[in-house]
Amino acid sequence: MEITFDKYSLIINGRREFIKSGAFHYFRTPGYEMALDRFSKMKASGYNTVDIYFNWNYHSEKQGEYDFTGVKDVRKVLQAAKETDLYVIARPGPFINGEVNAGGLPFWLLKMEDVIPRNRIGTEYHYSQKYMQYIEEWYNQIIPIINEFDNVILFQIENEYATDTMEEDYMRQLYKMARDKGIKCPIFHNDAYFAGLWANVVDIYALDLYPYINPNQNWRQDNFCFDTLDNVEEIFRNAKENSPPFIAEMQSGWFDKWDGSGYKHIRDALGDEHINIMTKTALSQGVTLFNHYMAAGGTSWDDLACDEVYTSYEFTAPIDEFGIVQNNLFKAKEINYFLDSFEFTNTYPIDFEFNQENIYTKLRHDNINDCDWLFIRNMNSETKEIELPFEKDIKLRPYDMKICPVNLKLKGCEIEFSDVEIFARLHNKNEEAIFMIADKDANIYLKEHGIISGDRKDFDNLTFEKDGKKTQFVFLTKHMADKSWMLKDKLIFNADYVLPNGAAAIEKNADIAYFDLKHKFAKKYCVVTEFKDYHKPEIIEDFSIDFCSPEIDLHYDYSNWRKIGEKTDSLSCGLYDEFVWYKAQIPDNIEEITLSARHLFAVYINGKEVLNRNSYKIEKLQEVPETISIMLDKNILSQDINELTILVQNLGFDKGFSGDTNSPRGLVTFVTKPEIPVQFYVNEKLSLERGDNRESDNPYLTKITVNFDVDFKNDVFFAKYLSLENFWYRRATIFLNGVKIGRYIKRTRVQDKFYLINEFLKPHNTLEIVIWEKDRNIKSVWGFKSDMKNVIIQIGTQKMYQLFK
Amino acid sequence: MVVVPEFLIKRVYKKGSLKKIDNGASLELKNVLGPGFISGFNYVKINDALFEPKDVKFITGGQELAGESVSESNQIAFRLNQEGTLIMNGKDCVVEGKNKIVIEVMNPEAGKVQLSVEDFV
Repeated sequence: MEITFDKYSLIINGRREFIKSGAFHYFRTPGYEMALDRFSKMKASGYNTVDIYFNWNYHSEKQGEYDFTGVKDVRKVLQAAKETDLYVIARPGPFINGEVNAGGLPFWLLKMEDVIPRNRIGTEYHYSQKYMQYIEEWYNQIIPIINEFDNVILFQIENEYATDTMEEDYMRQLYKMARDKGIKCPIFHNDAYFAGLWANVVDIYALDLYPYINPNQNWRQDNFCFDTLDNVEEIFRNAKENSPPFIAEMQSGWFDKWDGSGYKHIRDALGDEHINIMTKTALSQGVTLFNHYMAAGGTSWDDLACDEVYTSYEFTAPIDEFGIVQNNLFKAKEINYFLDSFEFTNTYPIDFEFNQENIYTKLRHDNINDCDWLFIRNMNSETKEIELPFEKDIKLRPYDMKICPVNLKLKGCEIEFSDVEIFARLHNKNEEAIFMIADKDANIYLKEHGIISGDRKDFDNLTFEKDGKKTQFVFLTKHMADKSWMLKDKLIFNADYVLPNGAAAIEKNADIAYFDLKHKFAKKYCVVTEFKDYHKPEIIEDFSIDFCSPEIDLHYDYSNWRKIGEKTDSLSCGLYDEFVWYKAQIPDNIEEITLSARHLFAVYINGKEVLNRNSYKIEKLQEVPETISIMLDKNILSQDINELTILVQNLGFDKGFSGDTNSPRGLVTFVTKPEIPVQFYVNEKLSLERGDNRESDNPYLTKITVNFDVDFKNDVFFAKYLSLENFWYRRATIFLNGVKIGRYIKRTRVQDKFYLINEFLKPHNTLEIVIWEKDRNIKSVWGFKSDMKNVIIQIGTQKMYQLFK
Repeated sequence: MVVVPEFLIKRVYKKGSLKKIDNGASLELKNVLGPGFISGFNYVKINDALFEPKDVKFITGGQELAGESVSESNQIAFRLNQEGTLIMNGKDCVVEGKNKIVIEVMNPEAGKVQLSVEDFV
């Protein structure tokens, strides 16, 4: 595939292409089947490209060892993209951010003494030869795989990178490495500061734009949040005159954090107006390559998450974590279909004198369709009637934005102006059907034919003929447009979604309609037979309860654990798992211990808890370290030699955007009074993960085991979840068939519903929920077990669709 | 620590704008970084003179704001390309020739943002 570009667009095999991309994290949506499902939904919604971060950390647990098998098989992910006819934007870092653990840098790299991650300390540039050698090791693994696929059209080096002094050798070396290893497509970097950074180093200058990053603020009130986007064409032109405007990450949602406001709040706050404004404003600025970040949400299962985020990486994406299409997908679909209908790859801005408060306008001439397009946005909180300079009026709802054709020549007529928006166009040499979104306040002004009202019902249509050619306008209400899907030369109506093979998915019985220029309309009544009411989750009443922390028991044999030196933090010990255990013996004369641990931890002496603490705190984007002292007395230190156990839960390393990836985790400091050297032995993971299923004497970690069945059918899509909505315990870690799929922390109240990831579901399933409770909540060992029998655990189905071919 | 390159932050200061006023100084800022909010003025330092929020005024968009009134709960919107004048009162600090200026503000998303420049009077 030959990929070139000019100042307007990418040119693939000699043809201009508008790149409509969406980001997808294969590591958060594991396995070929799930990738294929999400890609199919993207493709059917008009995306032609998928953006893929390759996560170094996910593939490399030890230096020199790489795993591309099973769910880590990236060839299968790329194959799924190829099968769905999507181009790929490859972003293998080395640093990727993406709110993943350590920003995607492998843990082993963080502890290397002569490695400076990203050649940067704070904001200062420090070149590290050793770091470059390890990047070469990663590139040697990942680039040959990328090179196997001819649908890769763009390649990114680093991500959101900057230093105070902007030395170029690191970025130039990455560029050269990629080229030397056979990358043929254009190379870019993603500039988080929209300041033209690295424009001279790469082929195409690209930037990211997130106007809404603070869920506590209301973007509708702070309407200036689009200032940068409103001027982005100038930024592109100043940065690199001859490369096409490329927004490598364009906001389509936002991530939530521990102690955050929850994804429902963010989804409600953004509405579908935000993605509409973002995308249309980008088009108004000449952007011909965009990447909605994200197109599909995911799950930070296992230890994927950085410390900032919880398990769900729903991101309020157009396709949510469960794989369910959302309202913002419908909006993205409208724009994608419009772009497919008119290409939009060769336009330039033209002067348009207009000034009205909080109304943004931009006029562009389209060299391909030989017409103009007026972009108009209302950032007022009320509907505005807008008088345009060319004697047309528009009534625009609050926070709405439209793309209006001006002097658009069609086959059977010419649109002088229209504020009835175009949804999609099917056309052949002599005929076209233009699907318009009905709008009672809007009109189509046709030359020679006058005004056509947009106040229409579904499938109302009008036909115009000229010189033997025909244009048919077909109206769709917004509701029907949401349920309408364009597949090449066909439109499918009234489906909840469709797949590229033409299968229509529906939740309830429906009349599915089809339209193509040859056969016109056809209808099929589809009856959903597979399921009826699935909305009510099932309360699980049959489960077993076991105490599962033998490590805390007195006289636990830890002789095979690793003896460590003075430094006890995770990186120094080479322990990167979420759970790290520390065992030691201390004499009975210790009066006090003082420690700092990240993030949640508990201290047990002689099998009894003396402290249980959530030390996770972020203020002003920075971790707030906490050091705690515990007074010990004779009641606690009851033996001559006392057994000390510390369990630390590491919620992840810093993602490395504004903090350091190698900020310490685990037991960071430990001092006794009087001060004596303490010899620690360490191990990682929970006992069940190590295959140790002995029941412990102590109740601090308790495992609830649930068995449930799932009925798989070829023509049914479903997404299941575990609900801990009525759960009264403080913390839990969830395992589905032995795979860690979630972290629950009650204090944060942000996530109590966990996706039972389809890839890990089987016909017969085992769910294990390990509860880590505080001593004061455990009245007695057996009373606690008895209380636990009343715990409410629910398994439900988020959505089900039956597929009709 | 926020990884916004220092050279980008420096662009916010309008070169040549530092002026000596009665018992203080004034200077001009222009937001060339992107739209955002200021959620606090930590301090302004001109040469050896340190000005606390109570000694600082920020005039922008037709409003005059006392430095100490700006907080997380009372943020100032600072739009792309918006300009503002910072006035420091209470000490003579501007010298003829080279002056060292440090301004530290808070941003709700980026945390502490420090601008450090030199200007000649």
